[in-house]
Amino acid sequence: MESRRKLLIVIAALLAVLIVTPFANSYVIVLVTHALIFAILAMSLDILLGFAGLPSLGQAAYLGMGAYLTAILATRFQFGLDWTFGLVVVLGILIGAATAALFGLFAVHAGGVYFLMITLALGMCVWGLAYRWNSLTGGDNGIVLPTRPEFGIQLADDVTYFFVVFGFFVAALALLTVLVRSPFGRSLVGIRENEPRMRILGYHTWLHKYLAFIIAGGFGGLAGVLWAHAHGLVSPEDVVLATSVDALLMVVLGGPGTLVGGAVGAGIVVFLREYLSTLVPWWQYVLGGVYVLTILYLPGGLMSVPERIRGWRARWENGVRVKFPRHTS
Amino acid sequence: MSSQVVRSIAWGLIAGALGLGTFMSPPPVMAAQELRIGFLAPTTGIFAQVGKDMTNGFQMYLDEVGGDFAGAKVKFIVEDEEGKPPVGVRKVEKLIRQDKVHMFIGGLLASTGYALAPVSTRLKTVYVASIPAADDLTQRDSAKFPYMVRTGWTSSQPNHPFGEWACEQGYKRIVTIAADYAFGHEVVGGFQKTFEGCGGRIIQKIWPPLGTIDFGPYIPTMKKDADAIFTLMVGPMSLQFPKQLAAAGIKKPVLGGGTSYDEFVLPSMGDEVIGHVSALQYSAALDTPKNAAFVKKYREKYGKVPSYYSESNYSTAQMIHEVLKKTKGKWPGTEQFVKMLAGVQLETPRGPVRLDEMRNPVHNVYIRVVRKKKEHGYDKDELWNTVVKTYPNVGQFWKYPKAEFLKQPVYSREFPPCKYCE
Amino acid sequence: MNGGRPALELRGLSKSFGGLDAVRDVDLKIFPGDRKAIIGPNGAGKTTLFNLISGVLPATSGQVLLFGRDVTRWPSHRRTALGMARTFQITSLFPKLTVLDNVLLAIGGLRRTKFVMWRFLSSYRDPHEKARRLLESAGYWERRDVEVRQLSHGEQRQIEIVLALASDPKILLLDEPAAGLASGESREMAAFLKRLDPDLAILLIEHDMDVVFDVVDRISVLHFGRMVEDGATSEIRSSAKVQEIYLGTG
Repeated sequence: MESRRKLLIVIAALLAVLIVTPFANSYVIVLVTHALIFAILAMSLDILLGFAGLPSLGQAAYLGMGAYLTAILATRFQFGLDWTFGLVVVLGILIGAATAALFGLFAVHAGGVYFLMITLALGMCVWGLAYRWNSLTGGDNGIVLPTRPEFGIQLADDVTYFFVVFGFFVAALALLTVLVRSPFGRSLVGIRENEPRMRILGYHTWLHKYLAFIIAGGFGGLAGVLWAHAHGLVSPEDVVLATSVDALLMVVLGGPGTLVGGAVGAGIVVFLREYLSTLVPWWQYVLGGVYVLTILYLPGGLMSVPERIRGWRARWENGVRVKFPRHTS
Repeated sequence: MSSQVVRSIAWGLIAGALGLGTFMSPPPVMAAQELRIGFLAPTTGIFAQVGKDMTNGFQMYLDEVGGDFAGAKVKFIVEDEEGKPPVGVRKVEKLIRQDKVHMFIGGLLASTGYALAPVSTRLKTVYVASIPAADDLTQRDSAKFPYMVRTGWTSSQPNHPFGEWACEQGYKRIVTIAADYAFGHEVVGGFQKTFEGCGGRIIQKIWPPLGTIDFGPYIPTMKKDADAIFTLMVGPMSLQFPKQLAAAGIKKPVLGGGTSYDEFVLPSMGDEVIGHVSALQYSAALDTPKNAAFVKKYREKYGKVPSYYSESNYSTAQMIHEVLKKTKGKWPGTEQFVKMLAGVQLETPRGPVRLDEMRNPVHNVYIRVVRKKKEHGYDKDELWNTVVKTYPNVGQFWKYPKAEFLKQPVYSREFPPCKYCE
Repeated sequence: MNGGRPALELRGLSKSFGGLDAVRDVDLKIFPGDRKAIIGPNGAGKTTLFNLISGVLPATSGQVLLFGRDVTRWPSHRRTALGMARTFQITSLFPKLTVLDNVLLAIGGLRRTKFVMWRFLSSYRDPHEKARRLLESAGYWERRDVEVRQLSHGEQRQIEIVLALASDPKILLLDEPAAGLASGESREMAAFLKRLDPDLAILLIEHDMDVVFDVVDRISVLHFGRMVEDGATSEIRSSAKVQEIYLGTG
């Protein structure tokens, strides 16, 4: 019953976004589109961080691979600017997954801080490629994309593109929701909680983590394809550590291990960043403060707020009815 | 059960609507004649100080005219582009869509210029590139950016005459050492093109990566039989390189790209740069009444000597004002504004400025020697870029025919090829 | 007692850590349905021996045979797949997951469906049936949605055994199942163990002799890594050597 209610709330929120956004001002439409794309990235990271317990600091690498692939195909081969956009989406997912499959060989056997460091280093490798491989990536100038694809519908129209991104977001959310509740997804939670035990229980835990890593890479690649067209520019700045950290913080802010939390976090970060940075020059400290407070006082992220409120209320009611604590231990 | 469903959906809808509704406020009611100008400068991060110079330059002009361009109230909106192209793009989207600006100005890095120009095309909004100097923005790619006007310069523009000046000094063999990125390539390329055109030879090109601060590996490899050194450094590199060159005991003449000795870094430099020569369209030491007044006022207001970052944005404001004077404060529409701005001819602190048909300035280029002296009546000895020669009305193609010039590739690491490198 | 192929056989199994021989040349045979305990003073090498058998540690020399197959170099999960299960001296559960989720993970470990990503786990019928059966027989079905960390130590020890049973083992290694339990709980534990499938072989490490004598019929005594005595419960109970080991070395 509980999960059914959550599902309904998510559906209602999605409907609200879908219905309200097209009537918002055009900058809000752009920001919602950005937020949805980062939500896909954050959810892909949540599979690793929240479910498998793997804190990756290199998720921007897959976004970068997808984005650069899209940009290079579009500018060099004029590919992916009509119905072939669909193929580019598939290729973007594949290149993200393939990159993760390669990186995973180095990263997945490590745990904890070592995993963090290795994914960070591998992410920097992709940044280095983007920055240094001038002839392919345009170096620090990056690549400016041509007009968005057109195939019966014109993605150049911001509202149309919002609908397309929204569709991909909902698909990603649905797929990942099934994934985390599948036998495989539950095994990731087991690995997060007690990996040696999982091994004894007959799970080849490395393989499970490796597969999760690849899947996360694939969704990262998808986010990259959408990002390239949303932003119209692919630059090494998209692949920097800060982007990976952003994704990590979105997940932490929203609540790791909840999927939807990553999406909520993405929305908050994207909007807060844009509006705060206009209002105050020290906006970065505000965001930083929000993160620190979340980690210190709300380790379950924003998604844990309703549960906490319920907890407080229960305690308060108990305190009123019975004047002594029920358990002293 | 069903009432629960309804309730859940209702709550979700309310939450979603609230979240978005906050940002759905109707567009601001526009004053009868308001000119909304978006301005992009890095106000945080490692370029924050440069960003301040940029903003101050524009702001100072606005203050001079009381924020009024021939009857149009100027709404000046500064956004932090952090020195990162993607951030610049995001901010421009905000300026155009949310603030409904008539034009946006600025961006610091050449790469930011490359990122912003297509946005001006896509969203049909005027972009005034006051700083980004990437050659191709107003050369080979110019046709892609019909709503862009450059009021700054192209990287190679001051270095074309500089090459000829080097020939006049009798230099025959020159070693170049420059930061390894597009701006460095274009600065060196322009210099090499004209220097070799008048009989000089570039005998070695060294490219330390952007951000190098230890030149130990590079300085000893420089050819000993060169007559002079040509250098282009940025940021901390420009402070370190002259120091380490002096420490290595190298006494050869040093020529440099204008930004290496900009008034922005000059006060932090030591006496080892005295005698270094550079070329740019501006020097704070420029001895004209207009500039002397500009420098004094700026220094009084902001406590420092203006750099070309300040001057360029000051004169940009001046040029925009000039257009508005002709329209009596009315916004003439995007296309018309571009046309009118491109037709402006004006006396600015840097000297007379007009724009060529590809909407890039034609202005004086000054050969400047760093000297320690008193300027503009200040009573202390300071480092100034003393102007020793003026090349009047230099365009981006120098003395070459435009068509021929555009046929050659953009200056890069590989072009012009180093024919005389051994 | 039981002819045919042993469920588990150890041949000259040894393990040394640097210069220390933790387990020396141990031979052992366990047949289906056997109930056997390994006893010995602290530091005798009992847990190391368990780790060798279950594949947590690699053996220095010797062999481990499971149903006749040499599994000496196999990782834990493959041994599990062949029908071996173990519990740990230190409770090793998934503390933040519910009792039911703990058991479902254990059930899932041996199923091919553990790689399925496109179907809800809850849509599979038989794992749930099986979890229900296991939890009902253990008396935990009513509390299936309680997080394991909220259970008492004794309850967690029992869940630990339920988890081990989830893989339908033919041989079960129990590392001090009664450690830290109150005497009443120990008796319940012993009763619980005796209720298990009579065809299941059980190898037990235990300090609580009441549980040992109650549950097993044969005992091996480990001392300084060596198997020094092996016999029926009654023999060991009266063995002078065992008395000496326990009294002499404390």
